[in-house]
Amino acid sequence: MKNINIKSALLALTLMGTLVSCDSDFKDETPSIAGIAVANPNFSTLEGAAVQGGLVGVLSNSNPNDPSGHYTVFAPTNDAFARLGLVDAGTLGGLQNSFLTNTLLYHVSNGDLLASGIANGGTSISALGVSRRFISRGSDLYINGSKIILTDVSASNGTVHAIDKVMIATGVNIVDSAILLKDAKVFKAPELTFLVQAVITSGLAPVLSDANNNFTIYAPTDAAFKAAGFATVQDVANASPVVLQQVLLNHAIAGGKFTSEYSGTTAMTAGGGTLTYGAFTDGIFTIKSNGITTAANMVIPDIQCSNGVVHVIDKVLLP
Amino acid sequence: MNKKHLLLILAVTTFGYVNTAHSQSPISGFMQGKGKGNVSLSFSSEKYDDVYFIPEKVEGVPVFNETTVNSTSIYATYGISDQVDVVMVLPYITAKGKATEEVLTNLGLENERSGFQDVSVFVKYSPFNFDFGSSSLRLIGALGIKTPLSDYKVEEGFQSIIAIGNRSTTISTTGMAMFKMDNGVFASGQVAGNYASNDVPNSVTTELKVGYAAKSFYGDVYVANQKSTGGVDIFGEGFAGYFPITKVNYTKIGIDLYTPIYQDFGISAGASTLVAGRNIGQATGFYGGLVYKY
Repeated sequence: MKNINIKSALLALTLMGTLVSCDSDFKDETPSIAGIAVANPNFSTLEGAAVQGGLVGVLSNSNPNDPSGHYTVFAPTNDAFARLGLVDAGTLGGLQNSFLTNTLLYHVSNGDLLASGIANGGTSISALGVSRRFISRGSDLYINGSKIILTDVSASNGTVHAIDKVMIATGVNIVDSAILLKDAKVFKAPELTFLVQAVITSGLAPVLSDANNNFTIYAPTDAAFKAAGFATVQDVANASPVVLQQVLLNHAIAGGKFTSEYSGTTAMTAGGGTLTYGAFTDGIFTIKSNGITTAANMVIPDIQCSNGVVHVIDKVLLP
Repeated sequence: MNKKHLLLILAVTTFGYVNTAHSQSPISGFMQGKGKGNVSLSFSSEKYDDVYFIPEKVEGVPVFNETTVNSTSIYATYGISDQVDVVMVLPYITAKGKATEEVLTNLGLENERSGFQDVSVFVKYSPFNFDFGSSSLRLIGALGIKTPLSDYKVEEGFQSIIAIGNRSTTISTTGMAMFKMDNGVFASGQVAGNYASNDVPNSVTTELKVGYAAKSFYGDVYVANQKSTGGVDIFGEGFAGYFPITKVNYTKIGIDLYTPIYQDFGISAGASTLVAGRNIGQATGFYGGLVYKY
């Protein structure tokens, strides 16, 4: 009798054991783009940005706007965000949510764009509606000014490539882009307020907002203007329009170029002056004009506007 | 051993039940006997900072970094007859996250949610008890309902990660077999179907338990499993940022201990941890409780 008991107990245990076996049938499933961002510690700021920008649901699901159901995402790493002072999810609070969402959408496109389909001179329309350019430089491939550092990570709803800089597009012209910053529509703290005043006072606004023109603009920060002797925005408004125009034209180069597209060491400005570029290092270079002793550094490079590219710099480039 | 005394000790061994998100079954393999029962007050705490997503375990809970769920539960059971018990559980839950102040401000979220969660009432019926002399096999069926007691909010978006409950009313049907020997060793297995009233997926839960009970000591170890029959994966197709409607599977192992301390009072303690899962935090939890049997 005892033997039978033990046997039946063992049988019961075996039966129950099969019922409570570990669930691991999903181990070979492919995560979504959102899942990849969450799982990879190098994308934790991107994860925070997707949460704050309201795109987690979008990047978890199939793309309803493409027959393949897929997206391609150029995913900025934590280091890419940190270049903008965005060192963790908490610091993203310095950005307006609408700007953050648009910026993320600029990194997204419909369908699978694999590395094999990316070539120098090619373009790709983003989910924001603004096109991105592909540039090869040496053995590296760039999208706008951002180096593609990892390619073809396959997700259940598309493809992920990692990039070393956050891409920014405003969707509007150079003047309106600067006004977005001044009006705190990008960062919650206003920026480029001195520059916007200088553009207005100098009378250059029509030229810089003309859709038929295309410029590279080096845009000095408010701190740069202060260091150059303008204590307040009113000081800029009170300055001579002719002098301001001369100074501003020393910040404009014909043809909008991303950092990745520069090869020369000098460039002629729209004002006829000369700028000297430092070596291309980690995606940026320094800019020196004749009127300053030490070169300016790029603070926010590669902002794509509808009629050019703006690089925010930390010094006024005096002619 | 005095068989009757053993039974009394065994009858109080479901105190380990804490009604946090994914708890032990409130149904034990022991019947109280007519007019008898027990009441326990227990405190439990579980914590996780790793989450089982698809296809791998990920470090750090999204937004909240780490989650702690504390619960204070009243558990009561009473034998209406020798064959019918009623079981009631009521937990008060405090769920805390560890999101930074900046992130909370940016997202408009809070790091804590608390309140009375869902009350559960089960009726256990044991129509069959086969006595083999030195051992016996008991079969039990149970029907239960779990429903929100307070008007705690249905959390939206990422706040729902630390929701205290999912506001579903769930009907559970449990089938169970309990084999025990006079030397104190026992083994039980149960299967339950859980049917939720809202978008929360239905699930099948199982529990296999083996234990030992002597006059002044009780201990068991168990492995529990849940498999959702529907639902979406977190960050998968159909996921829109609301966590309670996701598919939740897990395998959990645990231990329960009990000893009488004075007259009709005893103390209980236990621990459990997840060893596998899908869309669930890898929680490890502990509890302790005071039990009064009558």
